[in-house]
Amino acid sequence: MTVTTRREFLAGAAALGFASALPFRASAAGSLTAAIYPGTWEEAYRGVLAPALKKSADIDVAFDSLFAVDQVAKVRAARGVPPFDCFVLDPGPAASAMQAGLFEPIDASKLTNAAKVPAGLITSHAVTCNAQVVGIAYNPKKFATPPKSWADLFKSPYVERLGLTGFQTTFGTVSIIEMAKVFGGSETNVEPVFAELKKAVEKAAAVAAPAAMPGLFQQGQIDVMYTNTNTVAILKGRGVSIEFVQPETGAITFQTTLHIVKGADNVASAYKYMDMAISAEVQSALQKQPYNMIPINKDVKLVETLDIKSVDELTKMVTHDWTKINPLRAAWIERFNKEITK
Amino acid sequence: MAGGTGDKVDWRLAAPLGLTYLAFFAAPFAILLGISFYADAEQTRLGLDSWAKFYGDAFYLKVIVDTLKLGVFAVTATTLLAYPLALLFRAVGPRAQRVLIFIILMPLLTSVVIRTFAWIVILAREGVVNQTLLALGITAAPLNLLQTELGLVIALTQIEMPLMLLPLLTVMNQMDQNLVDASRALGASKWRTFFRVILPLTLPGWIAGATLVFASATTAFISQSVIGGARLVYLPALIWQQSMVVYNWPFAAVASLTLLFTVLAGIMALGWLGRFARTG
Repeated sequence: MTVTTRREFLAGAAALGFASALPFRASAAGSLTAAIYPGTWEEAYRGVLAPALKKSADIDVAFDSLFAVDQVAKVRAARGVPPFDCFVLDPGPAASAMQAGLFEPIDASKLTNAAKVPAGLITSHAVTCNAQVVGIAYNPKKFATPPKSWADLFKSPYVERLGLTGFQTTFGTVSIIEMAKVFGGSETNVEPVFAELKKAVEKAAAVAAPAAMPGLFQQGQIDVMYTNTNTVAILKGRGVSIEFVQPETGAITFQTTLHIVKGADNVASAYKYMDMAISAEVQSALQKQPYNMIPINKDVKLVETLDIKSVDELTKMVTHDWTKINPLRAAWIERFNKEITK
Repeated sequence: MAGGTGDKVDWRLAAPLGLTYLAFFAAPFAILLGISFYADAEQTRLGLDSWAKFYGDAFYLKVIVDTLKLGVFAVTATTLLAYPLALLFRAVGPRAQRVLIFIILMPLLTSVVIRTFAWIVILAREGVVNQTLLALGITAAPLNLLQTELGLVIALTQIEMPLMLLPLLTVMNQMDQNLVDASRALGASKWRTFFRVILPLTLPGWIAGATLVFASATTAFISQSVIGGARLVYLPALIWQQSMVVYNWPFAAVASLTLLFTVLAGIMALGWLGRFARTG
């Protein structure tokens, strides 16, 4: 029987402790940590992209599940020690992060699939991985006729069954801007819509956090909301009675983009990861149920379940300039807080 | 051993935890306090602007009051429901006590997120409560329970209940039954016995429970945002919004410190009540 002295035992324990603290490098060719939106995005990237990347390039991905605003807040707070290598962002937070200098520049020649993506979707600091389309969703069992325009949301019978959310998300902000335009406002002037919102909030079925909306719809607490096609397809897939409507003034589109975090440790792996994200293989898998993401790769044939027929439709939709919106957003959020609460 | 016999306290044993607190609570707290004295969101100028903006605006003062009110409502509701249950617990045998303890502890074994979402299913327009009321013909149209303060208090009462009950059961069990019997034998009614004997004796347990419930309800970010919705603004949601969406850290720091002091003030008031009860 061997007797272990206390000192030896402690030394061994310390060594074990250090070993377990080291990042696992289980013989993979590379690794990276990528931020990803919680929910569908995480399921899609974990279930489809990660295995494909492991198979093609032998790279391990660890995911850090965060909303866009939380990613930017985390990187800003980390001050030069990036908590992850790759962002996934919507235009608003991407513009903030760009201004704060949180991106490494993108060299498109390192992406084998760059030519498969429409011009303009890969920029000096961003790689577009998906398009989102925002419009009106309603429950066809509850209304004889569907709502047609943004203005309809403020009229009976829709307003009494409406779920309202504020400016804290991209889809919420662009939807309210489009409503403002209908009432005479513009991208930078949402004044006219506040008077309407004030009246609507008295009657609306719910004013809630964006993340709570799909649940409230499913529970029948609300029957009309503004949201993206992705959410509509997911709810439909779960047997919820829901349809997407493109408003008369046009549906809104914006791009979801991938970026390399300033000072990232695993830049080479991050390029491989982004390249895989825009590949035809991954893009065509992610457009199917249960993910329903609108592809941007030209080689992908669109499935029936998406609410658009071709990627060309996106070019006809409404887009917004977030460099103009961002400076105004804090004031809008504050005003929404004050005027729309009880 | 530490301070056992002499009057000299051996600080070495307390040092690890003490230093940890110092490093991981006091230091960040100091940073938070420092950030609150920046005048602008970019943190370039010093000034009291963030404090002035917060305390000079009726809307934010109302948010403080609403947050405090929510804590008081939750404490009141849990108190009214916990005392009868605690008295029942005293009266039943050991086997029934074990069953009761299990029932009381069960909510603590499920995540607060799950419990919150369960309340959505219960309180929604097509939820259990509304369906029952409609089926029984008590109401003609579905009631709006979600997104109201009432719904939020109902949900928080259930969610925070164990925190009130556990300390209360502990003091109830230590209470001398002879005192209760003596009070009854000397002709006091049940109510009088409760208010003059049981209540003062169990007050320390209630104060512990009330402190936990108050602190927990005022800071219950998930329940407040999911059940309360955006119509009801409380401090935790405001802090999240200002720090994560608007990136106005100085303003978020002011709101955070306000929440901290608000909750501390509530806890100190309860502590003062405890001292008053012992001496008064």
